[in-house]
Amino acid sequence: MKPTPFQFIDVPRKQPRELPVAVRVLGWSEIYGGYDPAGAAEQSARCLDCGNPYCSAKCPVHNDIPNWLSLVREGRLFEACDLAHETNPLPEICGRVCPQDRLCEGACTINVGFEAVTIGSVEKYIVDTAVKAGWRPDLSKVKATGRRVAIIGAGPAGLACADRLARAGIEAHVFDRYEQIGGLLTFGIPPFKLEKEVIATRRQLLEGMGVLFHLGVEIGRDVSLESLEADFDAVFVGNGAYRYVDGGLPGQDRPGALPALPFLIANGRAVLGTPEAQNWPIAGWVNPAPTLDVRGKRVVVLGGGDTGMDCVRTAVRLGAAHVTCVYRRDEASMPGSRREVKNARDEGVQFLFQRQPLEILGHADGAGSAVRAVRVVETELPARGAGLTTKAGSETEIAADVVILAFGFRAEQSDWLTAHLPSGDWSADARLEVCRSDSPRSARIPDRLPYQTSRSNVFAGGDAVRGADLVVTAVQDGRDAAASIVQWLRRPV
Amino acid sequence: MLRVLAETEQEAVGSMGDDTPLAVLSAQPRSLYDYFRQAFAQVTNPPIDPLREQCVMSLVTQIGREGNVFEMAPENARQVMLNSPLLSQRKLRQILAMDEFANAHERFRLYFPQGTGLKAALEALAERVEQSVRAGTVIVVLSDLDPQEGDLPIHALLATGAVHQHLVQAGLRCECNLIIETGTARDPHHVACLLGYGATAVYPYLAYQTLLSLGREKVLKPKRSGEVTELGRSYRRGIKKGLLKIISKMGISTIGSYRGARLFEIIGLQREVVDLCFAHTPSRVGGAGFRDLELEAGILMDSALDDSQGLDAGSLLKYRHGGEYHMFNPEVVQTLQRAVMSGNYDDYRQFAHAVNDRPPSTLRDLLALKPAPQALPLSEVESVDTLLKRFDSAGMSLGALSPEAHEALAIAMNRLGGRSNSGEGGEDPARQGTEKSSKIKQVASGRFGVTPEYLIHAEVLQIKVAQGAKPGEGGQLPGHKVNELIARLRYARPGIGLISPPPHHDIYSIEDLAQLIFDLKQINPEALVSVKLVAHAGIGTVVAGVAKAYADMVTISGYDGGTGASPLSSIKYAGTPWEMGLAEARQTLRRNGLRGKVRLQIDGGLKTGLDVVKAALLGADSFGFGTVPMIALGCKYLRICHLNNCATGVATQDERLREQYFTGLPERVMNYFRFVAEETREWLAVLGARSLEEIIGRTDLLRVLEGETAKQRGLDLKPLLSNDALVTDVQHCDAGTRNPPRDPALLAGRMLAAMTPAIEQKTGGEFSFEISNRDRSIGAGLSGVIARHHGNHGMRDKPVYVRLSGNAGQSFGAFNAGGLNLYLEGDANDYVGKGMSDGKIVLRPPSSARYLPRDTPIMGNTCLYGATGGELYAAGRAGERFAVRNSGATAVVEGAGDHCCEYMTGGVVVVLGSTGMNFGAGFTGGLAYVLDLDRHFVDRYNHELIDILRLSPEGMEHHLQHLKRLVTRHVFETDSAWGRTLLTEYRDYVGKFWLVKPKAASLESLIDTLKRAA
Repeated sequence: MKPTPFQFIDVPRKQPRELPVAVRVLGWSEIYGGYDPAGAAEQSARCLDCGNPYCSAKCPVHNDIPNWLSLVREGRLFEACDLAHETNPLPEICGRVCPQDRLCEGACTINVGFEAVTIGSVEKYIVDTAVKAGWRPDLSKVKATGRRVAIIGAGPAGLACADRLARAGIEAHVFDRYEQIGGLLTFGIPPFKLEKEVIATRRQLLEGMGVLFHLGVEIGRDVSLESLEADFDAVFVGNGAYRYVDGGLPGQDRPGALPALPFLIANGRAVLGTPEAQNWPIAGWVNPAPTLDVRGKRVVVLGGGDTGMDCVRTAVRLGAAHVTCVYRRDEASMPGSRREVKNARDEGVQFLFQRQPLEILGHADGAGSAVRAVRVVETELPARGAGLTTKAGSETEIAADVVILAFGFRAEQSDWLTAHLPSGDWSADARLEVCRSDSPRSARIPDRLPYQTSRSNVFAGGDAVRGADLVVTAVQDGRDAAASIVQWLRRPV
Repeated sequence: MLRVLAETEQEAVGSMGDDTPLAVLSAQPRSLYDYFRQAFAQVTNPPIDPLREQCVMSLVTQIGREGNVFEMAPENARQVMLNSPLLSQRKLRQILAMDEFANAHERFRLYFPQGTGLKAALEALAERVEQSVRAGTVIVVLSDLDPQEGDLPIHALLATGAVHQHLVQAGLRCECNLIIETGTARDPHHVACLLGYGATAVYPYLAYQTLLSLGREKVLKPKRSGEVTELGRSYRRGIKKGLLKIISKMGISTIGSYRGARLFEIIGLQREVVDLCFAHTPSRVGGAGFRDLELEAGILMDSALDDSQGLDAGSLLKYRHGGEYHMFNPEVVQTLQRAVMSGNYDDYRQFAHAVNDRPPSTLRDLLALKPAPQALPLSEVESVDTLLKRFDSAGMSLGALSPEAHEALAIAMNRLGGRSNSGEGGEDPARQGTEKSSKIKQVASGRFGVTPEYLIHAEVLQIKVAQGAKPGEGGQLPGHKVNELIARLRYARPGIGLISPPPHHDIYSIEDLAQLIFDLKQINPEALVSVKLVAHAGIGTVVAGVAKAYADMVTISGYDGGTGASPLSSIKYAGTPWEMGLAEARQTLRRNGLRGKVRLQIDGGLKTGLDVVKAALLGADSFGFGTVPMIALGCKYLRICHLNNCATGVATQDERLREQYFTGLPERVMNYFRFVAEETREWLAVLGARSLEEIIGRTDLLRVLEGETAKQRGLDLKPLLSNDALVTDVQHCDAGTRNPPRDPALLAGRMLAAMTPAIEQKTGGEFSFEISNRDRSIGAGLSGVIARHHGNHGMRDKPVYVRLSGNAGQSFGAFNAGGLNLYLEGDANDYVGKGMSDGKIVLRPPSSARYLPRDTPIMGNTCLYGATGGELYAAGRAGERFAVRNSGATAVVEGAGDHCCEYMTGGVVVVLGSTGMNFGAGFTGGLAYVLDLDRHFVDRYNHELIDILRLSPEGMEHHLQHLKRLVTRHVFETDSAWGRTLLTEYRDYVGKFWLVKPKAASLESLIDTLKRAA
């Protein structure tokens, strides 16, 4: 059936089937199903193919969305998959974890007045289905250059960088201290958003392209940066931003209170089934991995970003009796994806808005083994640009057995890198300062390519450069840093 | 592009304008073809409609040595005739294998080793070709097949131009044929460029290969059969249509006249390139030289050889990140919409910043203001309100826009004190006299809805000679957009497509234009008449002509004007920037002392106050805005206007979209224009000027910027600023200026004086006058008065009878209104009853005539053009194009010339004698009866859209009676002897009549229409 120009009105937006709440909280599977070819084609045909593709303009990696939608409509799956990979080395992952409602789908022309095209789900459909049907990246025309590049960190930035380097005929070696690739994709993002098989499939694809992984290797402990520099033509640093933002909350050191990331990583390992999980490190955390015993308990998560949502929903699946999310501002100000808030709410999470945590209270009897409550104060919504103010006398307590702090992350200077890069390369908040591909022209650093540090053979990107940010911006950095590396390696010597 | 050509055999259609930088300004390597703008005819000669008038078009191409055409010799006839200059692989092989050519052809590779230099390579190539032709080669194949690493390509167009030119100079061109085997040509424009610079035929191998491989992969579905090879054939048909369109734009009928005719204007090539390859083509601003072209060839070659780079998806037609710059990119559209919604000037500044600081994309971006040493305080600059009077909205028709958007625009402009433009297609009478009425009423080639009432409710009457997005072309409103409202306003039937012809059939020359201006000034003496042109080389002469034809205003559109639907190659390749057109117009007018006579307006891509100020400095008095007000109304620049599914409800007729999704408010448009006026004030202050008037034409306040790229630095914009050899100091034209015709219209004045009381008091009466052929547009003034007091039809029941004797001048009975019955004994010139809406015109020969009236012309060409009602009886023959675009008048004549009833959409035409050829081309409504005594009519009518039926007594009684009534009426009014004969012997003659009806209409529906009319 040929779609009419009015498909976007005649056919409503339809996401793939969603697992019912009662079923999904029992396990770790992704809650969204996939399209069948007809469903994907029908939804893709809702795209107007408009003259100003706002979706693509908004997308940090500028996916050629209208064109792959039209390829899906015509059933040209492999070509769609090729096209998706042209701009995005990890499309199936972005299709799952991007906050589309704030990016492409939010910008979609028909998101105003109508409902946006289901871009994320189609992206996921393209790669999942194509790979299942035998699609593989075509590197048959790539000529090996004999160059080798070391990539530190197998997170989205590192993987994206490795993919592009492999396509340019450069041997990419990816080092990571964890036992599996993916970084936060594997350990931070809970499996109900991103099943770990997806990463495993991507690993196979990358290895098929000739990317080599060196896992469980920590730079500065097992290998020195100097030796990498000696062995490789260039080094890409994509080691992320793991240091949690310290709220300085009184009582945050109580045993029942813990930061979000160790909680999520421990759970990730548990789901992954890593043997002797206790022996593996957790970035930004020196204590032993936390136990995940929240069954039947009251869990309070402080913070309303995407990480907060991951925590509350993980807690629900771990059997918590009561899960509450506490956020300082109102719902409209929440920084994360609306979709995740909705999912959390569907799964029974309570939200308390405009509450600023003041203190984590312990048991008065001095048992000291757990927290008792979080003391919060009501806030008033500030005018644009003004800071939050609190309502005097509005303090209350929220009963809690476990408190998870999800105030965000920031980058951290690693000793092995600090020793190598002068202080001018670091920002005040410990980010590596390089010019990015999306930096304004005025921010270009003379004689340096985007993502190049002051040490010309060392490049950096992802959260290490941006501070905690989206997966897709890390992908963008990795991709474009690879382009810089290729260009730099081709320089006349 | 290719896909659409191969799948539909038509060129791809797009909408909105071209918002990419000119090729020479672009930071990307652009195809050489992009530097060439197609020439088109406006005013000086008419473009042709290649579809409806296919009978005069031909692409036939001959291969073989050409001899002396005045010598009748067998060897001169030994030529291969091809039906088009576009070769298939098979045809090329066949030709080269023919006995004559097998040993008389040579292939030249269009590659040269790096380091040779492009210019030297071209010269060497031309030299080698010359040697070869001297040695007896008849077919020269220039081929860019087979690139080799290390070589650089010579662009096929450069090679064609250089070789052709060299052979002409050597006197050898007729000895041989140039066949271009190239991968660079894809669309009709590319092929037209090659032909225009001397190619005999073109073999676009890469296009075929692409189609074939897409066909094999089952991506493309051949239109006609399942055969993949059919795709190439379909592609050729599409290209051929496109070629016909391109040559017809210039009024050229055969490809032979187009070949080597260099009908282009070059924007952005250095003199050295033009001289060697494209001599005598206008190229006014310099630009890229051989070095730049060679550099770009190198970049292309590198990326072609680099396998790790994918194919670039292209970004010329729509925005893509990292691709070509687009002036309406998402940032520009979104910042503008934010600003008009918030009404906050700071938000507007963001928009203005995004526009004013863009990478150079238009010529004006390379011109900067020279600030005064001392800026004026803002309070001393003229107010926003006085500036607003200079702003108009550009012509956008109801049909392209939804009624809601169209009205919102009109309300906004009226409240601001500017003027909105009705566009083509009439305006709902309910809007007249309200704030929804458009002050500018457009008169376009289709004359849809142009009635006396429409014309008198205008402050400005704009004759749209050409449209920026598609100069030299007509338009088509597809049937699915013609709903009840549009059909009513355009006097057509819902669901049936409407065609606007490429030319105004009453403007084939500047004198004709003067006549139309005179007609309009007769019917509405208060209105200003404006003429809308599109910039191209030579526009200065046209503008001077228009000024001398007594127009009050001239609008010059740039190539970047918008459109609801146009073939993509027209959007991309026709017209030039308004900066060039305006500069030429300013210079010509001032050199000829005409600047004070006409106001100059420009439109095309204006966005900010800075644009306004630069346009004023280049000489514009007022400013038209098209796309941006639409964006203010909610348009998101989706470029889907032609699909009728505009998601913002701006450019659609779909009920659901209009009702539920159109959110535009006049206030938003008003916000926008106020912002622009405010920004204009700020720039005026910077220039130290108190009013815009002070700076109009002050090109000395502009400074030419160097440019950012090598190509930009090659430009020389000083000619645009030159004010040399001017005879007057007049730099602008005052708002109230009028340009009254020299013809005092004496008879019309006497008639008005005599009859105005009878009209005003609606008493009717009878009047007699003598007439001579210097009395033009007789009746138009009266119809104006009638329409003003009684509307189009209000005086029907109390008619005035005007009896005239003599030879009437042109436009007799133009825009005739109800209640005006003109009886002329004698004959009339062209344009009788054009735009007639009601009333009656009767022409009969003088009783003293000694000739046979039914064989003798009694009126000239193009009569009843765009008539919407009324009756015309003429005892004699009509000229060419009788009843063209008739949509309601009833007429009886005794013979007609070629193209009778062209584009007719309504009304009834009876021809009691022979017609010329191409009867009823583009005929989509109404009906006609034609008496065919010599049985030639079957060969003379155009078979595309109409059916002809014999009148038979069985089942067609209604039509028999109808015809008889009309002939009886004819005899009664004209006392025609031939009519009387027919009536007496009606039974004998009736079988010799054909009934002509549109294929889309059934006989029954016609009868219903007749009954309702009766």
